[in-house]
Amino acid sequence: MTNRKHPPPKQLVTQIPYIKPRAAELDNGLPVYFIEGGTEEFVKVEMVFFAGSYHQTRPLVSYTTTNLLRNGTKNNSREEVNEQLDYYSAHLQLEAQKDIVSVSVYVLNKHLEPALKLFSDIIRLPVFPEEEMRSFLKNQQQIHLINQKKVQHVARTYFNELVYGEQHPYGYRLKPDDFDRVVQVDLQQFHRRWFYPGNAFCIVSGRMPYMIEKRIGKYFGDRNWQEAETGEPPRYPMLTSGSRKVHLEMPEALQSAIRIGKQLFNRTHPAFHRLKVTNALLGGYFGSRLMQNVRQDKGYTYGIGSNIVSLLRNGYFFIATQVGSDVSKAALDEIYNDLKELRHKPAGKDELESLKNYLAGSFLRSFDGPFAQSERFKELLVFGLDFGHYDEYMNTLKNITAEDIMECAGLYLNEEEMMEVVAGK
Amino acid sequence: MVRFRKHTLSNGLRVLVHSDQTTPMAAVNVLYDVGARDEDPERTGFAHLFEHLMFEGSLHIPRFDYYLQHAGGENNAFTTNDITNYYLTLPAQNLETAFWLESDRMVGLAFSEAKLNTQKNVVTEEYRQSYLNQPYGDAWLLLRPLAYEVHPYRWSTIGKNIGHIQNASLQEVQDFFTTFYHPANAILAVAGNVDPENVFALAEKWFGDITAGNRYVRQLPAEPPQQQEKRLAAERDVPQHQIYMAFHACGRTHPDFHATDLLSDILSNGESARLPAKLVHDQKVFSEINAYVTGNLDPGLLVITGKPHHGVHIDDAEDMLWKEAHDLAVNATDKRELQKVKNRVEATHTFSESNVLAKAMNLAYYELQGDASLYNQQMEAYARVTDEDLLRVAASTFRKENASVLHYQTQRQP
Repeated sequence: MTNRKHPPPKQLVTQIPYIKPRAAELDNGLPVYFIEGGTEEFVKVEMVFFAGSYHQTRPLVSYTTTNLLRNGTKNNSREEVNEQLDYYSAHLQLEAQKDIVSVSVYVLNKHLEPALKLFSDIIRLPVFPEEEMRSFLKNQQQIHLINQKKVQHVARTYFNELVYGEQHPYGYRLKPDDFDRVVQVDLQQFHRRWFYPGNAFCIVSGRMPYMIEKRIGKYFGDRNWQEAETGEPPRYPMLTSGSRKVHLEMPEALQSAIRIGKQLFNRTHPAFHRLKVTNALLGGYFGSRLMQNVRQDKGYTYGIGSNIVSLLRNGYFFIATQVGSDVSKAALDEIYNDLKELRHKPAGKDELESLKNYLAGSFLRSFDGPFAQSERFKELLVFGLDFGHYDEYMNTLKNITAEDIMECAGLYLNEEEMMEVVAGK
Repeated sequence: MVRFRKHTLSNGLRVLVHSDQTTPMAAVNVLYDVGARDEDPERTGFAHLFEHLMFEGSLHIPRFDYYLQHAGGENNAFTTNDITNYYLTLPAQNLETAFWLESDRMVGLAFSEAKLNTQKNVVTEEYRQSYLNQPYGDAWLLLRPLAYEVHPYRWSTIGKNIGHIQNASLQEVQDFFTTFYHPANAILAVAGNVDPENVFALAEKWFGDITAGNRYVRQLPAEPPQQQEKRLAAERDVPQHQIYMAFHACGRTHPDFHATDLLSDILSNGESARLPAKLVHDQKVFSEINAYVTGNLDPGLLVITGKPHHGVHIDDAEDMLWKEAHDLAVNATDKRELQKVKNRVEATHTFSESNVLAKAMNLAYYELQGDASLYNQQMEAYARVTDEDLLRVAASTFRKENASVLHYQTQRQP
């Protein structure tokens, strides 16, 4: 008979198989990195610009500029761009975040040439037709209105405003009439101002086709593609500390969305890795204290978790959940109690070992394949870090003790310093 | 092309292996051939409730997640109207831990009233979070019983009525396990940095001694052909109307499935597809629009759905959807447009092959449909579809008598 009582032997993850990128620089100075790997004949080409909402002077400009890239170029109408993207099955992703804009395309190698030509036009020569912009914003306004009916969305936007203040782009909460205020010239200026090689980098990942570097150079290396204006991004005052609570009554809600957290720091801070582990113990995975207590023990929610978010100029911590409206008070008590215990109740030997093993496995998974590797490498480039940063994380995992975690919780996650938003009842 | 090997244990468990040496991970997928369609109409939501209970401890292992995390693994599961699917990934060197965990919960679960009650609450919160407390969240709870009158696809995986879950007894839960959770009703697929011989040996070691249960024979009532159009209007607190049009279509293993799927792609896959290009971008009648097939194993649905802008009458908006659907039944799709949707299918398929978990899931799912190698034949099947096939399938699909139409409307102001 097989012995089912005891787990089979296991080996810990100690090494991460980084694919070290090959670096090149195009004639116009655009840095390009190649991450070779994978089993299938396709690549991802990603262009990253430091052009997130932080860089805009009016709400929605970064987002609209990014999403309108595909709605017509100097060489092709919106219909033609879309038809060709679809015909060559080039999967385009447009992401406008707080600090950066990422424009990427996944394409089969056999369609690479026409797809790169199109991709280059989209990035370099968009025309932002007025009518297309209006139509896009009108549709987004509708989605915005629908989102106002979602408790978790409402809680998230008010929470960001509490943490960073309504003036700061990290905290700004969109209003319905923001969608009427964007004008075409905003997009043209924003694009001219931030979408150029000196403010960008490019990562190519996957199975490299023949002469990939030369082909990237052909479409993105033009010396005439240069900075149009210079200057620093705008600076904004950032609100700090002080605990505030907001309760938003949504009478129809069957559930309340809870968001609790505070401003902290980003991944360049010396305590970042320790905080990452501390957060994981609290709410970073299924075995975490919050999940085990609030879902698995109490049954108050379908899910609960916490996270730390690393932004270029700051970072924050948050706990998020949706709970039955009848138990929202009880759930809040449990959450604050788990936060308090994080300082006082040391992780048991098993709890700590399980956490560390899980995090090491999860970290290994986040490097699985060239596309995952490119995500991790992008993170380093954005924050100006190198692979030593990830080695430090593995070292932290190896060495961190239950006392370190309690100390970290005491320093950064004191329950009395938290912002709190409850949307619902 | 995903190369794989297959072996069936003497208790009936089918085992599939795909070896990919480029990854440090292994993915393990266990598919149980039971979905919401197999539930008693008076006891719906069981397959999904069961998915939750499968994580609450098995005969020899009190905490599934704990040991998996200990080995650096991560897991999840989903329930559909057709299947219940459990999957995990972990560092390949710890593969045996996955076999230990998955086999023990096939041997038996450690049920208790307390665990059952907690998961009833969790599922009730899931029901509120996903279906009731979301704008448009209950649309499918309305659409299913409109489209299906007889076949069990008439209820959703969460159940017809959350009372069924709240009243579930421990005995019923145990019976459900005995009926459906045994080797002959399961498929195990492993993909990643693994040696097939080692996987077969581990399968024999951990699953080989599990008693082969009684093979479950599925006898579901077939949905009779629809005779006339069905319509339903519902009012909710939403800012915008949404139209849902559901047409009966074939099941996934039917020869016309690929043509049906391509019809939905021509309508809405990609920004250049007909519905977004014409009705969102050009005519600006809709803010969002979509068409897709449910892809069920028994005959499923082709659904067209969209949110018309304010000021557009919902009936006029629906007429425009009909016009596009009818056009597919009358005018042949031009060559380039057909090639375009086929190219997209090819790319999507190739992208999915770069992921070990997707490969393990797909091998198990196509094995359930008869043969895992069907996974590798999908692209050819799409490539074979002709413009005549599209005309024929569109003509038989896009008929009033074959349609169930839901108008999900904003509440009138009092």
